[in-house]
Amino acid sequence: MAYAYLFKYIIIGDTGVGKSCLLLQFTDKRFQPVHDLTIGVEFGARMITIDGKQIKLQIWDTAGQESFRSITRSYYRGAAGALLVYDITRRDTFNHLTTWLEDARQHSNSNMVIMLIGNKSDLESRREVKKEEGEAFAREHGLIFMETSAKTASNVEEAFINTAKEIYEKIQEGVFDINNEANGIKIGPQHAATNSTLTGGQGGQQAGGGCC
Amino acid sequence: MFGRSRSWVGGQGRSKNIHSLDHLKYMYHVLTKNTTVTDHNRNLLVETIRSITEILIWGDQNDSSVFDFFLEKNMFAFFLNILRQKSGRYVCVQLLQTLNILFENISHETSLYYLLSNNHVNSIIVHKFDFSDEEIMAYYISFLKTLSLKLNNHTVHFFYNEHTNDFALYTEAIKFFNHPESMVRIAVRTITLNVYKVDNQHMLHYIRDKTAVPYFSNLVWFIGSHVIELDKCVQTDEEHKNRGKLSDLVAEHLDHLHYLNDILIINCEFLNDVLTDHLLNRLFLPLYVYSLVSQEQCEDRKINPQVSLYLLSQVFLIIHYQPLVNALADVILNGDLSVFSAQPEQNPLKNSSNAGVRRFTKPPESLERSLEMSRQRGRKKAQKRPNYKNVGEEEEEERGAEDGPEEEKAKGTEASSKASRTSGDTEEIEMVVMEKCKISDVSTLTEQNITDEEKTAAALCEWSFLPFLDMVYNALDCEKEDYHALFVLCLLFAMTHSKGINPALLEKIQLPVPGQERSSYSQVLVERLIRIMNQAAQPDGRVRLATLELSCLLLKQSVLSSTQCIIKDVHLACLELFSGNVLLLQGEEIFLDMFEDEYRSMTSKPLNVEYLMMDASILLPPTGTPLTGIDFVKRLPCGDVEKTRRAIRVFFMLRALSLQLQGEPETQLPLTRPEDLIKTDDVLDLNNSDLIACMVVSKDGVQAQRFLAVDVYQMSLVEPDTKRLGWGVVKFAGLLQDMQVSGVEDDSRALNITIHKPASNPHAKPLPILQASFIFADHIRCIIAKQRLAKGRIQARRMKMQRIAALLDLPVQPSSEVLGFSQSAASASQLPFRFYDQARRGPAFASVDKVPGFAVAHVAQHSPSALCPPSPNSSTSSSADHCDYVTASSASTQSTAQSSSDEAVGSRMVLTDSALPVLAPAPALAPSLTPAAQPTISLLSDADAETLSVDSLTLLPPADPPRLRAFSSQSSVQEETPSAAHDEDLKPEESSARSGLLKGPKPTFFRPPPTSSIYEAKIAHNSFIKRQFSIHPVSLKIKQTVPLRLTYVNELVLVTSQKSFIQSGPLLLHIFIQRVSDTF
Repeated sequence: MAYAYLFKYIIIGDTGVGKSCLLLQFTDKRFQPVHDLTIGVEFGARMITIDGKQIKLQIWDTAGQESFRSITRSYYRGAAGALLVYDITRRDTFNHLTTWLEDARQHSNSNMVIMLIGNKSDLESRREVKKEEGEAFAREHGLIFMETSAKTASNVEEAFINTAKEIYEKIQEGVFDINNEANGIKIGPQHAATNSTLTGGQGGQQAGGGCC
Repeated sequence: MFGRSRSWVGGQGRSKNIHSLDHLKYMYHVLTKNTTVTDHNRNLLVETIRSITEILIWGDQNDSSVFDFFLEKNMFAFFLNILRQKSGRYVCVQLLQTLNILFENISHETSLYYLLSNNHVNSIIVHKFDFSDEEIMAYYISFLKTLSLKLNNHTVHFFYNEHTNDFALYTEAIKFFNHPESMVRIAVRTITLNVYKVDNQHMLHYIRDKTAVPYFSNLVWFIGSHVIELDKCVQTDEEHKNRGKLSDLVAEHLDHLHYLNDILIINCEFLNDVLTDHLLNRLFLPLYVYSLVSQEQCEDRKINPQVSLYLLSQVFLIIHYQPLVNALADVILNGDLSVFSAQPEQNPLKNSSNAGVRRFTKPPESLERSLEMSRQRGRKKAQKRPNYKNVGEEEEEERGAEDGPEEEKAKGTEASSKASRTSGDTEEIEMVVMEKCKISDVSTLTEQNITDEEKTAAALCEWSFLPFLDMVYNALDCEKEDYHALFVLCLLFAMTHSKGINPALLEKIQLPVPGQERSSYSQVLVERLIRIMNQAAQPDGRVRLATLELSCLLLKQSVLSSTQCIIKDVHLACLELFSGNVLLLQGEEIFLDMFEDEYRSMTSKPLNVEYLMMDASILLPPTGTPLTGIDFVKRLPCGDVEKTRRAIRVFFMLRALSLQLQGEPETQLPLTRPEDLIKTDDVLDLNNSDLIACMVVSKDGVQAQRFLAVDVYQMSLVEPDTKRLGWGVVKFAGLLQDMQVSGVEDDSRALNITIHKPASNPHAKPLPILQASFIFADHIRCIIAKQRLAKGRIQARRMKMQRIAALLDLPVQPSSEVLGFSQSAASASQLPFRFYDQARRGPAFASVDKVPGFAVAHVAQHSPSALCPPSPNSSTSSSADHCDYVTASSASTQSTAQSSSDEAVGSRMVLTDSALPVLAPAPALAPSLTPAAQPTISLLSDADAETLSVDSLTLLPPADPPRLRAFSSQSSVQEETPSAAHDEDLKPEESSARSGLLKGPKPTFFRPPPTSSIYEAKIAHNSFIKRQFSIHPVSLKIKQTVPLRLTYVNELVLVTSQKSFIQSGPLLLHIFIQRVSDTF
């Protein structure tokens, strides 16, 4: 499938915060969360549309590889966006955010867009971390913030797409060097040839999210 | 029985029994009806596979009978069948994704065994997918990665077949080790690491015997190719344009090193042997180390020395595997070129082979081909002897075809006894074993590995020439730039901190091993470090702050043994010589802020060598411009402000170093210690303090009745203490120096006051900690408050400047000032003083705020002096605020800095000819430092020796001896009245008498080098002299016990005709001593 850009994401955060479920929820909605059956996946890809352009998201979960330093640092470096996930029902997962963020900032390229996600918003009764705390943390560290529920699919779509929009804006501003694939951004095969015309022609279009 | 109307499609998902054995049976039915993939049933099939996956995961958690059914009906075979029909991308991707989901979400071991039995998974692994499709590639490699995460000692048997020598999961994965897509490469690395982690000897033997050599040789070549690209990127760089690409390549190299290290720390011994052999002999030695010395361009596979130093530093910082790093360090520190001499005359074929020669060469065949051949051989052999060790014969055949086996055979027999435990292994492995025993014995490294011819050659130059070490030390020269020196320092730092290097190896050349007791240090190294510091102390020195900081680290590491400092006095003296004269005190208001700011940023961010070595920007030649975005410490200063910032940092570093070497604690810095300050909720005795009542209205409208009190450094807002009369509780305290006061336009009783918190980050906007309007009872009180605050601010800043001045002069003077209200009177009596380098600072005199009046007074007073250049604006600028100090300051020119410390009034000592030039050149010193050897100077004073303060013996400029004598007697007069000086009661006559005396000698001063206007200046006791000349105080330790403070060394008695003034510190001292002796 042809695309204008490919963005590579990683998902980070403590184990059990629902990273792979978020990922599956986003990439394959046919897996409905029923019967308390939690299903996740470590890799997924999906096409979305931003500003009239087809953009492919490729999301890599880094779970289970934390024991190898070389692997985590490489993952960070190869991604254009990161979803930093914590569980609103577990305070400790929120407390570890600083460490995750330090790691991310240390290893990633400086332009990487990081979105903070408080997952399991459906479990309101067991909430341990207030939404305001998440917001404050995000503000302090310059992150985008959202509370999601992989179970009810609430905000999942938005989390991935808003991150993509942010990356897309950075590309438009010329912050990202899109010709350097090490940044986690790839220009689509057909797009590469006509890149200049497309950018010029569609610049005025209003940005609109959506999925394929 | 399966009604067509039944809505089973998962998308609806509302069917009650979608997760059930029955549903799985129905799915089975669908599969049997659709064995051929067509356009019509494609969606149906994909959905069926997906549903089966879901049921299986559900079954794993709820009902194991679904697995029985799945297995019984061999449903995996349907999956394979679908795959093999070239059913197209869509089906492929869906199938791989569902398999991925399936294996990831299975939690029970038994369920996993069910799925893995029948070898279907391996069939899927070896299926030839269309890997040119990036989505298939990504799903495929993720699938392999998911499987590799399930590997353990039990499950490994489903993937590794001992009898057929098959390990598809691993061999298929490593074929993509150099895939252009970085995520794929990362996944491959993850898979390999997960495989190596499994502690299964048979499997690991297979890995070593069949795959290790091809994989590691290709991997090493891949890494090396990146390095050459990186080097090209550095070489072709113009004006830092390649930085983006360069930082990617550097990060890539780091990734590789971390990956190698991850393999090595799994600590699978025989894998590590092969890997170490390849890394050492195919990459690190031939490409990195060899590039350090080979001057000719004969070899095209060679990189720049700075790149190789940088990369080697990274190697030592990241990899700590003992056999590898120790052998590598041994070659660098003890090796010579014989390590590399190949034997072309002996065996011309050898160069192109992958045998024992240390060459960075391309592997003879691609990894895929190697694996294929190895696999076929294994198959063939398996019929005869199903054993993983049965490869010797083929290896021999193959090798015989490729290259001359003589060399290897020789090695093989040599090491055969060692290799006996793996008898039957290939000779390649034997070679590795031999390599290993060679590595373990450091001292005989070269001997064991080389032939007789080489031994002879080596004997010729034995001990006479260590080219690598020589190169490393020579690169420490910072005369022109510190481009190479920074890397060398990092390399030495990394080597000395490496856990893998045998300490004996380092001690052999006296490299400092942290935490080890020792009694000597490497003179060569320490002297070179001192030279770097000397260069850094020059105003136009081309030494970056990072380089200086590393030099200080290494020097401390060298000379500080755990219990004591073992630095030789001569070295300490050299260090002291230039550590004092780095910084020029400047009058600008911003100077104080910079001073404190630099201290904060320096202490808050100590150098991290590993992070430093991750930064690609230092690979390019050092630059000055901040426009590159390079961190300040990693580039040269740009403009006057940055030069001052740099000088301040250099001062801090050298001061800290000097204090630490002398075992003295830091008592003066930071200028503001939080523990000295008044804090909120402190209770203060405010009896007899000036308090002004006011209403404080903060920005958000909160009002409070407070009393304003102004202290030396702080202003505070207090409210009365309920318990004690006359005491107050502090509600807010802020530094006066960071305060801004302004009137309110329409209210004569109000003031706006803002106090900023000093920013921890120089780029951050200062954060206001107080932003409020103060409303007073009437406009008189308002004016009083305003004046008091404004004056307090000036005073607070001046006091700090004074302390900086004292810092630049005397390291004694214990911090006797206690901040508090009761002390304020005494503190205020300390006289602020500043001085300026007229050439640069002159115009500033016109500015009221910047120039304290007394400084002007000095200029006026001493301007008749023959040597004093005319002072600009000498009498125009004394503001009313400063007038108070004018008289007193002239009286205390000698003692301002010492007002609180009688010791510091130090007796003055004079050099005499009898004592001076007793120089005993130490033979081991490097040429530039030789003259400074052990200055055994004895001192003579008119004053009784017992009254001297050993801390601060001051050497005055020796002019003509008689006058000098006169002066020194004057000194003793002065010494009798230290308390008078302290109380500023010196009579004007006395003071002018002293001034006259100072004018008297009129020594011919050697003009400082042209740059000295910014170079100069240390505040000495006498600001008159200071203002005239560059002064270089030196501390010497005499007979190791009495530290003497020699002030005014630099331009002392050198006659103007002598143009051969040399800036180098030690030499300077030498010249000085000689000249002094000549004069006498």
